[in-house]
Amino acid sequence: MIPFVAVVSLRNRESRTFRLWIPLFLIWLLLLPLAVLLSPFIFVACLICRVNPLQGLAVMWQILNALTDTNIEVEQRSAGMSFHIL
Amino acid sequence: MNEHRRQILQMLAEGKISADEAERLIAATEAPVSFTPNADSGAAIPKTRPKYLRVLVDAEETRDGRYDGPTKVNVRVPMQLLRAGVRLAGLIPAQALDRANHAMQEKGVPFDLKQIKAENLEELVEQLNDLSVDVDQKEGGAKVKVRVFCE
Repeated sequence: MIPFVAVVSLRNRESRTFRLWIPLFLIWLLLLPLAVLLSPFIFVACLICRVNPLQGLAVMWQILNALTDTNIEVEQRSAGMSFHIL
Repeated sequence: MNEHRRQILQMLAEGKISADEAERLIAATEAPVSFTPNADSGAAIPKTRPKYLRVLVDAEETRDGRYDGPTKVNVRVPMQLLRAGVRLAGLIPAQALDRANHAMQEKGVPFDLKQIKAENLEELVEQLNDLSVDVDQKEGGAKVKVRVFCE
């Protein structure tokens, strides 16, 4: 399943945590018409680079799906940051 | 005879592995689910496929002569992303791979990216099951501990 939400948490020196929920599904909805409009150009670029466009599309879809559950955390005494894709 | 068994027997014939090791490897390839002995109880526990690649970094550094507290980095990457990444590498045109190989060889990394193929993908990811890299460095005022493993 493609990721729907990304959560970014930032912690400052005063231990205040700022959490930002990014609705990725809205971004996908916005990007979808753009991808359709750009598809002829992407197709031509794939042909120039001698890449099978369908295979490329499949791999991109797999990467998008695999992003779910990715987690990155960096913690320091003075600050901290975490990024989680749900 | 399947491919794994043939490779193991070839390694045995070449003297790269002992007969005991060959027997264990053949048994491991034949078993649908591999089992690892539990060090504490001696009982066998099923070995599941790892889902994530983890990277943990624990660093204690002094910046401009003052201790700034420990820095901890915790990265969890799904193995599926790794699989998709290898598939993406399979789409790179041959000319680009040649250039990348040449650039890596210039930097002293004798690695052939053309060897990464979709058919070897599962084997590659399977090998990561037992991957565990521990780096413990103490240099000057810095203490760095890095752990890379699958879970």
